[in-house]
Amino acid sequence: MKGLSEVIVEDLTKKFGSNTVLDHVNLKISAKEYFVLLGPSGSGKTTLLRLIAGLEEITSGAIYIGGRKVNGMSPKERNVAMVFQNYALYPHMNVFDNIALPLRVRGKSKDATARKVNEVAETLHIRGLLEKKPKQISGGEQQRVALARALVRDPTVFLLDEPLSNLDAKLRVEARAFLKKLQKEVGITTIFVTHDQAEATTMATRIAVLNRGSIAQVDDPYTLYSRPNDVFTAGFVGSPGMNLVRGVARRSGEEWEFHNDDFDLKLGKAAFDGEKGVTLGVRPEQLTVAKGGSGLAGSVSNVELLGSVSYVTVNVGKTPFTVQLTGRPELEIGDRAMVGLRPESVLFFDESSGERIGAQGT
Amino acid sequence: MRLSKTLRVGLVLALPIIVYFLVFFIYPLGLLFEEAFTTAGGTFTLANFQRMQTDPVLLTSLQNTFFYFIGSLGLEFFMGFGVAVLLYNYVGRLKTLFRTLIFIPLMVSPVVIGLVWVLLLNNQYGPVDYFMRVLGLPPLNFLGSLSLALPSIIVANGWEYSPFVFLIIYAGLVTVPQQLYEAAAVDGMSRFQAFRYVTFPSIRGVMLVAFLLDAIGVLKGFDLIYVITSGGPGYSTYLLSFYAYKEAFVYFQTNYAAALSLLFLAIIAAFVTMVLKFTPVEEYLGIRRAKQ
Amino acid sequence: MKKPSALATAVFVLLVLVCLFYLFPLYWTLITSFKFNDQIFTYPPVFFPSGIDFANFFQSSSVAHATSQTAIGSIPWMVDSTVVAITATLVSTFLIAAPAAYSLVRFLKNVWLGRLILFMTMIPEVVFMVPFFTLDAQLNLLNSWWGLALVYLSLTAPFATWLMMGFFNDVPKTVEEAAEIDGLSPYQIFYRISLRLVTPGLVAAVLLSFIFCWNELLYALILTYSPFPTGSETVPLFITSFLITDKSFAWGGLAAAGIFIMLPTIVMGIFAQKYLARGLTLGAVKG
Repeated sequence: MKGLSEVIVEDLTKKFGSNTVLDHVNLKISAKEYFVLLGPSGSGKTTLLRLIAGLEEITSGAIYIGGRKVNGMSPKERNVAMVFQNYALYPHMNVFDNIALPLRVRGKSKDATARKVNEVAETLHIRGLLEKKPKQISGGEQQRVALARALVRDPTVFLLDEPLSNLDAKLRVEARAFLKKLQKEVGITTIFVTHDQAEATTMATRIAVLNRGSIAQVDDPYTLYSRPNDVFTAGFVGSPGMNLVRGVARRSGEEWEFHNDDFDLKLGKAAFDGEKGVTLGVRPEQLTVAKGGSGLAGSVSNVELLGSVSYVTVNVGKTPFTVQLTGRPELEIGDRAMVGLRPESVLFFDESSGERIGAQGT
Repeated sequence: MRLSKTLRVGLVLALPIIVYFLVFFIYPLGLLFEEAFTTAGGTFTLANFQRMQTDPVLLTSLQNTFFYFIGSLGLEFFMGFGVAVLLYNYVGRLKTLFRTLIFIPLMVSPVVIGLVWVLLLNNQYGPVDYFMRVLGLPPLNFLGSLSLALPSIIVANGWEYSPFVFLIIYAGLVTVPQQLYEAAAVDGMSRFQAFRYVTFPSIRGVMLVAFLLDAIGVLKGFDLIYVITSGGPGYSTYLLSFYAYKEAFVYFQTNYAAALSLLFLAIIAAFVTMVLKFTPVEEYLGIRRAKQ
Repeated sequence: MKKPSALATAVFVLLVLVCLFYLFPLYWTLITSFKFNDQIFTYPPVFFPSGIDFANFFQSSSVAHATSQTAIGSIPWMVDSTVVAITATLVSTFLIAAPAAYSLVRFLKNVWLGRLILFMTMIPEVVFMVPFFTLDAQLNLLNSWWGLALVYLSLTAPFATWLMMGFFNDVPKTVEEAAEIDGLSPYQIFYRISLRLVTPGLVAAVLLSFIFCWNELLYALILTYSPFPTGSETVPLFITSFLITDKSFAWGGLAAAGIFIMLPTIVMGIFAQKYLARGLTLGAVKG
């Protein structure tokens, strides 16, 4: 039944003393979604997760899980499961007992418990580790045990707090794929917290970007990437980040122009009257760079080779532009180069509010 | 009245200790106050406290206690600290062996130690006396001498408890990260400088713990006096603790003894308050972390 | 292999001397217990006895004294000490200290409470000796195991609590939160998770408390007057009874009794050594 595992966060505020960590947050997470809370450290994403789990108390607002208002309910009553960043396995018990504990606490019979534990262990490929203690197994295996312990009791919502950050790079990539597949198979509403935007965009159905206690934007990964609502989201999502340049947009006749100390840019049809302070945003893959040709003139300040793709940073005056190239660049540091862009691919953000102004051609 | 869950659980878990606190602290404290402010007959009086002001035995006891305190702490710290530093820096594989051996005196009952030192210090047949004669020093009657009895007790006490200081300081030394010393070596510090700028700051907390625990242990001192000298010769080894005991259970002056006990308690409270005021002892004791 | 420097050698010698200083009194006691009576009070003193006489351990020495004044004779007192120490230790560590310490670290997180505990560990025995005597008398528990064990709680409980607080502080909160999410009540978390993770602390508390009760003199002196089975005089009183009555006889027996009595605590102490140092400096250097 669909309604059973929806999570709704309504006007949620959380304060620690006089410090407001979450400010009137609203979210609607649908059943079976893989929902990611993305943001830098201190943005409140972990706090939000813990509030949904029931580990912290709400200052004001409400949380609904599966249609029930869960304010004040203990984690047990909410039937949520959580995987912590450091896995938080019980060190003095072996893997089997770790996974079995949630069932034992709920009074399940010995046979039923054993059956369920083995089932879950099978799904997560940790059958062979059941006798071992946490300190005897690797980090990746510990993580799967934590997952097993969470899933063994068929929770309504599955909460994960940066579970991949303790893994080394290669394991992390494998774990991402594994988690995604697992979530689809089990079909459980999942809320995942991370500060790594690559993790977010590769795994999520939808992402909520948090900035200092407020939601900046909630969208699917692609929309977030191509149509960020504000300058923060634009800069945070995507790696390397979007090029962001401050300046002034001025209307002149039917068209408008962008000026800053280093260059002028002619853009197409005017979107508004008069003059405005703006931040210009354009992604590295939307730019071109060459020794000659047309565009903005500058000098190369950095070249980064990443195998099939390279990033060249060109300083147009004092403004740096990072451009993506395929293959090996023929430019070196110090060379003169021209940065080319198409006005249609450029986004503009209001200088003071940070919001995106209706961009051209998108 | 609905208590918050945290408070409720906390109180339930703390229930045994709350009961304990009432029975073993509040009630006895009440009894002490009652005893101290009454005469043997039961009437209210301040006589006990007045007597304290002019009591020569009390004065001697306090002086002795003070001297004992300084002497014991000094000796124990000097030896414990010295041995810890030397052992840590200069001994290789035999460290554990030394540590275990040095640890042993701590485990022995003060009563047995008293007996042992009586034997050792015997002025005719004791080995200490023998050593002194061999070294050409004049024979001394340690336990019978007015001026040497207390120092002898201090040495016996130091013998038992300096390993305590040693243990704590040694444990502290061991936890100083090796990398700090390596950085110091690269910076060109001499051994002495390394000690002053690396070791010392790192073990300050440990030293404080050792000092506090040791001070308390010394202040409690009773057993050795009882066993070795019974306060004598004269009143030269009377400590406040011993005096209170004698008044209460030998002379049956329970009222005065209660007053003395209260005095003792006040001294301890003052000492602890002073220490807490001047140092962030709690951080070091792990009861409360400074930065949560 | 580097040849040790002159300084290192000198220090090593110094440390050996220090060790001898610490061990010599014990050595002396040991040989006294083995000496024949005529070798005990001699001048010059005998450092390396020529023979071993076990008389002091099992039967009275050649100077006629009751068997009670030998090592074997201490057994009734040892029974008392064992019962009292075990009772006081277990009750104070598991019943009082552990839950209280956990409560203070996780729930009643008040600085003043911690300070109060610390203050209580510092109270000397003499302070409450008169009230405790009255207390035991009122409960009709004088000269009994329970009376003495009860009073010993005042010595062991605060110390054990303070010790356990440091250990509980080190239990990672996330493990407890995981248990909360798994559905355990706070009491279940305490009993099934947190308590299991502080075993070194529990061991240290138990061993130290036991040693303390075993060696304690003042309260035993005040509250008891005869040994098992008529009373509950503990081991230190066995020794003092010698010293008070016969100041210059039966030293051999006394020494033997001393050795006999020391052994349990020394063995325990060596075993507890690694736990001890950790417990006492917990947090001290981490800062």
